[in-house]
Amino acid sequence: MIELVNLTKEYKNVKAVKNLSMFIERGEIVGLLGPNGAGKSTAISMLSSLVEPTSGDVRFENSSIIKNPSKFRKIVGIVPQEIALYEDLTAEENLHFFGRIYHLRGAKLKQKVEEVLEQIGLSDRRKDVVKKFSGGMKRRLNIGVAMLHDPEMIIMDEPTVGIDPQSRNYILETVKRLNEERNMTVLYTSHYMEEVEFLCDRIYIMDKGDLIASGTKEEIKKILSSENTIAIKADRFNKEFLDALQNHPSVNRITIGEREVLIIVPRAVNMFSEVIKIAEEYGIELVSVDNKAPTLEDVFLHLTGRALRD
Amino acid sequence: MIGILLAKFKQFIRSPWTFVIFTGMSIVMALIFGGSTGPTNLKIPTYTEQGVDNSIKDILEVEETMEFSYMTEEEVRERVSTGKAELGVILKEDSYQLVVGVDSFNAGLVEQAIASAYMERNLEQQILEVSGLTSTTEQEAFIEDMKEELSSPVFDLDSKSFRGEGAFVYNSNLQHVFGFSLFFVIYTIAYNVLPILIEKRGGIWDRMILSPIKKWEMYVANLIYSFVTGYIQVVVTFLVFRYLVGIDFNGRFVETLLLLVPYVFAIVSLAILITAIAKTVQQFNAILPIVAVSMAMIGGAYWPIEIVYSEILLMIAKIDPLYYGMQMLTGATVYGHPFQEIFVPLSVLVLMGVVMTGIGIHLMERRHV
Repeated sequence: MIELVNLTKEYKNVKAVKNLSMFIERGEIVGLLGPNGAGKSTAISMLSSLVEPTSGDVRFENSSIIKNPSKFRKIVGIVPQEIALYEDLTAEENLHFFGRIYHLRGAKLKQKVEEVLEQIGLSDRRKDVVKKFSGGMKRRLNIGVAMLHDPEMIIMDEPTVGIDPQSRNYILETVKRLNEERNMTVLYTSHYMEEVEFLCDRIYIMDKGDLIASGTKEEIKKILSSENTIAIKADRFNKEFLDALQNHPSVNRITIGEREVLIIVPRAVNMFSEVIKIAEEYGIELVSVDNKAPTLEDVFLHLTGRALRD
Repeated sequence: MIGILLAKFKQFIRSPWTFVIFTGMSIVMALIFGGSTGPTNLKIPTYTEQGVDNSIKDILEVEETMEFSYMTEEEVRERVSTGKAELGVILKEDSYQLVVGVDSFNAGLVEQAIASAYMERNLEQQILEVSGLTSTTEQEAFIEDMKEELSSPVFDLDSKSFRGEGAFVYNSNLQHVFGFSLFFVIYTIAYNVLPILIEKRGGIWDRMILSPIKKWEMYVANLIYSFVTGYIQVVVTFLVFRYLVGIDFNGRFVETLLLLVPYVFAIVSLAILITAIAKTVQQFNAILPIVAVSMAMIGGAYWPIEIVYSEILLMIAKIDPLYYGMQMLTGATVYGHPFQEIFVPLSVLVLMGVVMTGIGIHLMERRHV
């Protein structure tokens, strides 16, 4: 359906996106994952024809979106990272406004507004001005606006930033339902691994403007097939223990939390007895040592050496 | 485009505070600085020496903006020396004397009025001498006929220079009504153009770009809204002074309202330019007062531009829309200039508006496809 070909965006001397190539098939939910500053939003802006790339092209049904954006714009809905709503208008008035700019009028507009309010669960708050809404409600309305004109594809730029877990679940379920019931194509960017794992069929991982991995969830997790992630839990850790782990020849990566340390080690190495021995040596009372199934978070850590939310 | 306008006006009705505050400010400031409690005449203590005939007094009575109150010479001097009056007048048989306490704008105006009263009286006397009429009744009838004939002259005289003959007329009420209205409307308009920047940064603009709505419709809707709210603000201010305070705008109220159109247009485009230059709301908030206050000071909103003698300041004023706004409004009302003379500042404002809109939109558009 859509293909990004060697897309590059350069601002003065900074390359925000470097030679990005990716594709999205009709009916897929594709995740674009990366920490803040990875270049996700710039990539999305270029894909949705809002920002002109320095080089490269975006192709939709074999024609360039850069040269002729109107065809693509008709079928796409965008959910920006910001709350792109009029705060002084009510939920219903916002939907009416955005419906009107998509040339919806009269009964059709009214019906679509009703439908969207129902989908995002704001029917009973329709008459409230947006500035009185909670963060989660604003986010839901932000998504609702993008669905008014029945787009075939929806691009969501971190739509769950800064909201409570309940609202986040509601949004994720809504996205999943839209995809399943209407075969809507979704490009979903996030720096929350669990969201991408829950929603997406395929995933692209970006870091510092580069595409560093891509594939299905399983394919990406296989990157770690030669390695194990071991979770070490204790009430407290001391510096000597952490230094010993960090300097251990078999430890490829280490992530240090307050009560949990994750280490990535080669699958062939039995690290359990080693960990227990080091803990005894430096007086650490272990709570547990577990072998963890690899997650996308581990993959990101493996690929970049940094946790995703660094 | 209608949809955008409707949304804008709905928001305006929900929170009209910027508009209300700046309209209120312009009215209050003009009242305070203009001392406007109604139309005021310049009160001039006057002493008449013996031998001064009544025709001089009769001619001076007709002056609309001056009120000559007659008293003894000591009283005149006392009033001026104690600052109760700006100036006083001593009328003699064939000459006059001005008693000036402080150098004021009005001294020239009063002197001009008295000088022309003496000239008129002398002219009448010379004509009567030549006419050979002897009886007072005949002389009075002759003068009456002559005045009637002069009131419908054979030729119409048009003034061609914008500033008149070098003398400037200062009307404190109109100066402050115009000055503060033109100054405060800059804020109202600018804060109505600012949402373009906020909407661009907040993603609303992007949503509209992706919709079938045309880019020009987005700009035009925003500009119409800013123009209308700005225009309404100045009209409301002028209506308050016309009908509640009682300033009559020298009979050219409707013309004054029409002359606001090019000024408001120029300020809308200036606001677009500032919005395009500022990258953030904070930057906008920093730039706007600097620009607005400088414009007001240089353009003659706080004080008449005629008292500024610095060549540099006068040169800078030539690129200030507020200067041309004041020139148009005072030209039409205080000086009573015909349209031909107001055409120049009007054209400059339209030109400024077009140029600044063009540059502003070009700068704003650089980011987008």
